[in-house]
Amino acid sequence: MTGPILTVEGLKAYYQICQFGQHLEVRAVDDISLQIERGEVYGIAGESSSGKTSLIKVLAAATRPPLRVVGGSARYDFGGKGIDPTTASEAEIRAIRWRHLSYIMQGSMSVLNPVRRIERTFRDFAQRPLGLSGAAYRDRIEEHLDHLRLPKSVLRAYPHELSGGMRQRVTIGLATVCRPDFMIADEPTTALDVVVQKDVLSLLRTVQQDMGASIIFVTHDMSVHANMADRIGIIYAGRLVEEGPTRTLFTRSRHPYTAHLVASLPVIGDTRPRPALEGRPPSLANPPRGCRFHPRCPLAIERCAREVPPLEAVGQRHRSACWRAEDVRPLLIPGETGQTAMVQA
Amino acid sequence: MRSYAFFALKRLIQLAVVVFAGTSAAFLVAHFSPISPVETIIGRVSGQSSFSPAAIESLRATLTELFGFDEPLWQQYLNFWSRFIRGDLGPSLIAFPTPAMELVMRALPWTVGLLTVAIVLAWLLGNILGGLAGYYQNSRLLKGFGVIAIGIQPIPYYITAFLMVVLFGYIWPVMPISGGFAMEIRPAWTLDFILTVLWHALLPAASLVLAGIGTWFLGMRALVSNIVTEDYVTYAELAGVRRGTIVGGYVIRNALVPQLTALAMALGGIFSGTIITEQVFSYPGLGTLLIRAVNGGDSGLVLAVSCVAVIAVAAAIFVIDLLHPLLDPRVKVG
Repeated sequence: MTGPILTVEGLKAYYQICQFGQHLEVRAVDDISLQIERGEVYGIAGESSSGKTSLIKVLAAATRPPLRVVGGSARYDFGGKGIDPTTASEAEIRAIRWRHLSYIMQGSMSVLNPVRRIERTFRDFAQRPLGLSGAAYRDRIEEHLDHLRLPKSVLRAYPHELSGGMRQRVTIGLATVCRPDFMIADEPTTALDVVVQKDVLSLLRTVQQDMGASIIFVTHDMSVHANMADRIGIIYAGRLVEEGPTRTLFTRSRHPYTAHLVASLPVIGDTRPRPALEGRPPSLANPPRGCRFHPRCPLAIERCAREVPPLEAVGQRHRSACWRAEDVRPLLIPGETGQTAMVQA
Repeated sequence: MRSYAFFALKRLIQLAVVVFAGTSAAFLVAHFSPISPVETIIGRVSGQSSFSPAAIESLRATLTELFGFDEPLWQQYLNFWSRFIRGDLGPSLIAFPTPAMELVMRALPWTVGLLTVAIVLAWLLGNILGGLAGYYQNSRLLKGFGVIAIGIQPIPYYITAFLMVVLFGYIWPVMPISGGFAMEIRPAWTLDFILTVLWHALLPAASLVLAGIGTWFLGMRALVSNIVTEDYVTYAELAGVRRGTIVGGYVIRNALVPQLTALAMALGGIFSGTIITEQVFSYPGLGTLLIRAVNGGDSGLVLAVSCVAVIAVAAAIFVIDLLHPLLDPRVKVG
């Protein structure tokens, strides 16, 4: 069991839509390459409509029209059993779902069937991949809930009888009950308050470490990334612009966009105004030539508008796609108790 | 469980209020109807031979007393209730002196049987097919059903009834088109009798199913095409849950909740609808009886039919109300 569990190479997925009689291609995922190691938590950050969710839809083999994979590949390696979610058949995907590949969905309010008790949902989701029945199955479920410190009584409850945090914990229980090798989490803590969010994240982290599973998760909340991720990939306008270990990205970013993201974080005791970016994220239907960030970039030079910067190594496991990567400096020099302290939190 | 009993009790009280208001309204309508049963009987009797005016006067006095029309309205109303509770609504006119209630009770099983089968069948078929059509949106067969449903949905039930008669009674005369059973078979709990009843009920039931199924189909399809985009359906698909479980337990199951409410509302209207269906097929049910009563000026019988209809519809809705919390756990019980 060596080598990365997921290898994505040059992945392109476009929304092909017809609007006002015109055919449009929205390049939500445009030439993304990344690798995720076994037992690693990989966070994907980016603003709304930057293509984060489209990327994990492809990875979860949940690509539905108008979203289509138009190029590149993705490959899971589940103990010698390789599978490409962009080309595998329905039956092949079904065989790995939940046993090897599970999913935690955004919006804990509505991911559980409102007319089924939790135990019924567990049976629908887990009985077939676990291959257990009767007492053995029941013991396994109860043992798992115990492990997650969830009371057994949740099994008898309907979703509307549980709080939002409880529901998200049940969802994590559902996603981990078959001990999958790889989990995809789409904004797992959105819509939860900070205290519940912390609980849910530490639960997810604990289960992940116990099982040795890998997680790829998506959120725009940089503080969640700081707490969860081993490594972070920053997506801007459908492209991976920077990737590196969490601490490196927060302290020694080599991309102006990441530098702005990090500088926008509030730091206790620091009342300096935050530098804001001019303009809006570009349209993915008609992205700017060259580096997609150049119209908003304070460091932009003439070359940025012409040539697309490649994602190249700038340090230990650290890659950046910027012609001026060497010139990027942190926008706010962190104080003694500044961002470094937050990363450790 | 205690809260469910309390919920049932509350619905039972609502049922009582509805029945009380409905029968009171029926009583007042019958009372203020311009056709007087007394004058109708006198007219019928005196038409056959000549009577002295004194004899007619005495007949009128006897009949008025028999029907209790000499008493003030409130007294009549109280009498109506005291007799109604004992299941007695006076003699009928069209089949004098058979009690009106007896005629109603004879007709009731026919209507209830026909309606229950037709409504339940239309509801089940329409919802299952509509549910599948909403989920498997690319199926050619189900798309075809959709086109047919849109075509038949606006056709009124009385047109489908005539259509059945013309098709299967005239153009291709294979089905009985009138009556509830074959004349030569005596009504009894024998296999022959049950078969002839089912055979005779087929056309009227089919006409009602045909008229109802399109609406259920289209309603369900619309509901389901919303539900398939719900997170819990997407999530179950991402988890590789069996397709059949998703369609049945996640999609259709959730769409049935509003459809059950719609069924309760449709029940109220369908009773009046069968009056014409029964008339077309000369079916021996309440509808045919009601038309005979109205034509014969039999206000007592009209009152009896109306009261029983109010009770039957209210009871059916009561049963559906009791089912509601079992289908949707979010319905607040209590």
